[in-house]
Amino acid sequence: MGNFFQLLFNEQVKLYIRKSTWIMYILIAALVIGLAFLSNYAVEQAEKYQNDNWRQTLQDENTEIKERMEQDNMTQSFQSSQIEKNNFYLENDIQPRSYDAWQFVMENKFLLSLVSLLTIIVAAGIVANEFKWGTIKLLLIRPITRTKILASKYVSVLLFALFTLLFVLLFSWIIGALFFGINGMDPHIVLNQSEGYAHVSIIEQIIKGYGLQLVTLVMMATFAFMISTIFRQSSLAIGLAIFLMLSGNAIVGFFSDYEWAKYILFANTDMNQYINGSPMFEGMSLGFSIAVLAVYYVIFLAVSWVFFTKRDVAGH
Amino acid sequence: MTEPAMELIDVKKTIGKKEIIKGLSFEIHKGEVFGFIGPNGAGKTTTIRMMVGLMGLSGGDVQILGNSINSDYKAAIREVGAIVENPEMYSFMTGKQNLGHYARMIPGVTKKRIQEVISLVGLEMPINEKAGKYSLGMRQRLGIAQALLHKPSVLILDEPTNGLDPAGIREIRQYIRKLAEEENVAVIISSHLLSEIEQMCDRIGLIKNGEMIAIQDVNAATAETTAVEVEMEAAPIDRAAEVLNKEYDINATVANDRLSLQVERDTIPKIIQTFVSHDIQIYQVTMTKSSLEDKFFDLIGENTIG
Repeated sequence: MGNFFQLLFNEQVKLYIRKSTWIMYILIAALVIGLAFLSNYAVEQAEKYQNDNWRQTLQDENTEIKERMEQDNMTQSFQSSQIEKNNFYLENDIQPRSYDAWQFVMENKFLLSLVSLLTIIVAAGIVANEFKWGTIKLLLIRPITRTKILASKYVSVLLFALFTLLFVLLFSWIIGALFFGINGMDPHIVLNQSEGYAHVSIIEQIIKGYGLQLVTLVMMATFAFMISTIFRQSSLAIGLAIFLMLSGNAIVGFFSDYEWAKYILFANTDMNQYINGSPMFEGMSLGFSIAVLAVYYVIFLAVSWVFFTKRDVAGH
Repeated sequence: MTEPAMELIDVKKTIGKKEIIKGLSFEIHKGEVFGFIGPNGAGKTTTIRMMVGLMGLSGGDVQILGNSINSDYKAAIREVGAIVENPEMYSFMTGKQNLGHYARMIPGVTKKRIQEVISLVGLEMPINEKAGKYSLGMRQRLGIAQALLHKPSVLILDEPTNGLDPAGIREIRQYIRKLAEEENVAVIISSHLLSEIEQMCDRIGLIKNGEMIAIQDVNAATAETTAVEVEMEAAPIDRAAEVLNKEYDINATVANDRLSLQVERDTIPKIIQTFVSHDIQIYQVTMTKSSLEDKFFDLIGENTIG
């Protein structure tokens, strides 16, 4: 086991010593700061409730919205949901909270698709680059099995995903704290859940929001890893994985008339369908999706392993 | 000789339907430098890739200190250090980081050992620079350093003189002799240029079309000299040719103000003496072809070594 950690350390060094990896982090940082500037309007929105008259403010808002609804039918549903939300605050006597770092982190959960993208790039390169650089020859002629080397590379990809995810969380929180301040350590917020509005913990929402996207991240990174191990070339792996990630839902939609559509990977990556209680296809359950995902996952890894350990390393 | 450090037993490689290596058998002893010569495409690199486990064997076995590369890979490869084709390094890491990377892959390589190999190959100065900035000669040395980290019993160098200038080749020649003589390492060097490695090898094996055509002891070959080809620069050249014809019954050809002749090695000093006594100025005497090269040309049957 000792030398597995050495291998892992080597892979991490090779990853983080390169400028291209740092550029990825700089990109994330720039995006988070940009988003903080854009979120300033949300601060102003929440500002008007931050006094003792917040009940009055909410009621005034409701009457105003009702008046507007009578004149204009276009935005009916949005307006009425706003009234519903305001009423929830009034009925439960909850003061709307000011915008803070926690909410900023929660709203930034879409940044996880960027993390997925970067993880795919890393996964696609980690084996293929060794072939491109020619260093694979020196890497493999050591008293270490190829299985172990491949495993160290795969775990290294997962570690990269983890570090990058933590970076998004922490950096968002720090930037959020600087821009908007921190409003308590166990913040709650009123959100529209499947059973209507509810007062929920933001931290719980953060864990759920980020956690659910991890399924797609891990599956697509493993897929890119497999393609790059088969073809020993990173561009194809990046292209294919990103294309599939973006068009996944369209693919499921295209084949939705067929019985076997529920076995498509992308029909099972979105766990939200079980939280909302509306599975994509009939006969699907949480257990079913986990089983399908597990089968894909094992196939991806097994194919990578076979190609990496069994094939000759021949000339260019 | 001592026990074999590496032994190839009827090694075969078939790719598709084509038999690339057709049953190679030879052995390399400790402290010996073995030259592996053959024209491009003869199967040198394929053989070397099989020796280090980068390619699987279609038949036969490679044994390193008695451990089979097929059945006991880890124990076998533990004793091997190698450069396969070009010494490719991580260009974004310094020389030292590159060595550290490989050192971590083998238990027991200390920081002190890393320093040792750095000074052995004389890379102290640029070791903290990025390997991407290294010249080919420096990369070649870093490659050798990397191969020596774990004190292997067998050192395999694929075309180590490729792209090096004459000074670099001489330096490598010195390291290799030193390694073989002082550390008792078995060294295998492949090349398509006999002249470049002839002087550092104890034995030379000639491979052609995936078959070992001949294995020749270098010292024995130079000892059993017969006729060698000699070029002489002398003035006046016409008289020199005349003297040769009269005294030794040798018909020398004159080209570019030089005499070309075939003569027994032992007669060369006598000819020079005769020339001196006839008042002929001698500027230069060169052996144009070594006997070994001649022998290999004959074996290959065509001029394809170069």
